[in-house]
Amino acid sequence: MTLGLPEHLAKASLSRALASAGHAAGAVCLASAMVISVASIVLEPTGETGPDRQAAIAALVLLAVQAALFAVVAFHPSVTLTVVYLLGGTAVVYGLTVLVMAPGNGFETTNNAVLAMPRTALLLVGGAGIGSRIAITWAALGWGLGEAAAFLGAETAGGTWAPNAAAAAALGIVIVTRVFDAMTRSDARREAALHRASQQTRELVIRHDYELRAIARLHDTALSHLVAIAASGSGPVDERLRAAIRHDLTLIVGRDWATEHTEDAAAVGAPTGTGGSVAAVFRAADGGEASDTSGGAPGRSGRGGRTSTVAAPGRTEPLAEALDIARDAGLSVNVSGTPEVLAGVGPRRRAAIEAAVAQCLMNVARHAGVGDVEVALGRADGEITVVVVDDGRGFDPDRVPEDRIGLRTSIRGRIEQEGGRARIWSRPGVGTTVMLAVPEGGE
Amino acid sequence: MSTALRLTQQEVDPIGGVAAAPLVLIGSVLSVATSIALTAWHWGEVASPLAAVLGILLVAAAGAVATTSALPARAPFTVDRLWFTVALAVGGAIAEYVSTVGADRYLYDDYGPLVVGMMILSLAPFSTWIALLAAGTVAAAVLAILAVGSAGASATQASAAALVAVNSVAVLALSAAGAAYSATIVRESLAWQRHANSIALERDGGLRAGIVRSVQQGRVSVLSREVLPFLADITNSQRISVADADRARELADLLRRALKAGIESTWLDDLAASIEAARQVPITVEDPGATAGRLRSDQRPPLTALLSWLSSGGRSESIRISVAANGGGAIVSVLAIVDADGASSPTRREVERFLAVARAVGVRGELEITRENVRVEFRYDA
Repeated sequence: MTLGLPEHLAKASLSRALASAGHAAGAVCLASAMVISVASIVLEPTGETGPDRQAAIAALVLLAVQAALFAVVAFHPSVTLTVVYLLGGTAVVYGLTVLVMAPGNGFETTNNAVLAMPRTALLLVGGAGIGSRIAITWAALGWGLGEAAAFLGAETAGGTWAPNAAAAAALGIVIVTRVFDAMTRSDARREAALHRASQQTRELVIRHDYELRAIARLHDTALSHLVAIAASGSGPVDERLRAAIRHDLTLIVGRDWATEHTEDAAAVGAPTGTGGSVAAVFRAADGGEASDTSGGAPGRSGRGGRTSTVAAPGRTEPLAEALDIARDAGLSVNVSGTPEVLAGVGPRRRAAIEAAVAQCLMNVARHAGVGDVEVALGRADGEITVVVVDDGRGFDPDRVPEDRIGLRTSIRGRIEQEGGRARIWSRPGVGTTVMLAVPEGGE
Repeated sequence: MSTALRLTQQEVDPIGGVAAAPLVLIGSVLSVATSIALTAWHWGEVASPLAAVLGILLVAAAGAVATTSALPARAPFTVDRLWFTVALAVGGAIAEYVSTVGADRYLYDDYGPLVVGMMILSLAPFSTWIALLAAGTVAAAVLAILAVGSAGASATQASAAALVAVNSVAVLALSAAGAAYSATIVRESLAWQRHANSIALERDGGLRAGIVRSVQQGRVSVLSREVLPFLADITNSQRISVADADRARELADLLRRALKAGIESTWLDDLAASIEAARQVPITVEDPGATAGRLRSDQRPPLTALLSWLSSGGRSESIRISVAANGGGAIVSVLAIVDADGASSPTRREVERFLAVARAVGVRGELEITRENVRVEFRYDA
């Protein structure tokens, strides 16, 4: 997620927010002035002097005109409408001044609360355009025109003109906030670069996610073979080991081994140097028998045309690849439950489940010392569950050496990346049960 | 609007909140100046100088409370601070009323409504629009009672309703202005965030392709370039030699170590590596438990932004980050060694804005700045 406003949007957003503030204040001023007019129409003055009813009605009509113009310019702040509002508002202020400053109303000068309200609403026009300068210009124009109208109105009515202090204070507040906004708006935002930091953090998370996948894949394909070669010492290459290495290497030939989805592979395009070099070695080894796996046709190996990726596209049988791997390793797998539940998850999530099950079966083949394993699939509470059970040697989960990372990356890491969880129960001599659960759906 | 109802600009746009803090001071100074000027202006009507002085002092106290409450170090601003400020300002207005009771010729030259309104307006970046409107309405109600109370002595002959309208218009107008500002800026900020997040999701597809390529340059990938051809050679060989077995053992060890390091590294290690490569500033990360992974996705950008800023513009000579578990949360300490004589040494105010951003996502932060170093400690709860 990201926070706050970026530098390039802050100016417009803050300007609009300040204009909204002015419009709200102006609306309250006009509403209050109208309340006073209505009160003068409806209620009797409390003293000897006060506005007559006709004058109050005329004032209410003038205020209604100004309020209508104000509403129009607030919702459609074009230059034309701003000018229309300023001219119309000036006329209204002139008319109101004539009415208010009429003899007998008790106002000594035009510096009074009643005239302050339409005057303040006039300068809080907001107006067309974005930014402090234009906003201050419109406000100053509103203030100046209002003052001129009040002067003319006072002359017409025979009253005394004086600058309106409340209107001047309102102009002062507009200028202070606008100038402050202009001075402080950009520097802090630019230097904090929060939006860029959000993007960077997001990239790092995706990168880390890919690195973990790359690690899981490399672990699956290479580490155990290296250990087997080191343990075998000098001598002929065991044909079963050779086949297993070939099989695992085909998993990563002709595609980016860091990816596990077809869409990613498609996005990446041509194979990398790593895959390419291995593919070349394979082609040489197979004497042209292998298919051209480096040519952007992931999913086919050079041996027997078997699909080479776990949950490869087009291979829709549940756990097909994992079962192939188990069969190659001499393991008899009894699948129970409802394997079709795997159709209920997205391709990426399914690939993660199938790869994790494949790793579980590999572990059984390598470490459990048994020839049979049970795999059960089911659905419950919005989750797809796969349980892999063997009656083999078992192990103490608390005593797994830190550098044994198959459980962490190839099983638990994969499942947790998909929002699921992996639980492992095992005891030496009793066997091992691995339960994988992922939410239904997903990508 | 339901979300915006509960949010302030300070929460959705923390940098804006930090930038607005001086405006509260300006508003407070103007309020105190207004109270002094208008008290002097109608001094002839003052019957109780003590109440008049008390009124000014209460306005000054309201300004002081507002200013200190809005300081970035005290973020987040809470609604009770708004009410405390408004209560003091209204107290000032009442004291002013008492000082001129029976002799107040015009409500128009009373400072009470104006200073209450200005205080509410200046706190708009820190309060929800509904709280601002509520504070303004309550204050206006109190001022209306004062207006009705002073109507008998007023020189202006008008109805009581008109007097109430005159006396409350300033506070209502300024409160409405504050509420409109708060609502608009929160709405615009949330709209931008939604837009930016949806764009980020769209970008992810393209981003992934680029990242896949760069991951292949990473430590594990580079090692795989040795491992995979070796395995391929073995499949073509008839025999495994002693040298092959030794090489396999060596590669297995290397691979295991690289895999382990890869698993235990976090986004923070990757960030430090990328900043170090780009800016040539040595950055060390001590995070043995990979605790940095506990930080939520919204809590990481403030730390990222701080590290980027500290490492740029020659601000730091080196940076050390240590991460420790704290219950289910984490404590991240950033120590930047700065050039004591450098012109670009970070200032407290500059660093504070990153802490303000962190506070907005529920991270507490502490800052120590000396001539030689900048130490920032972030505390993340589970």
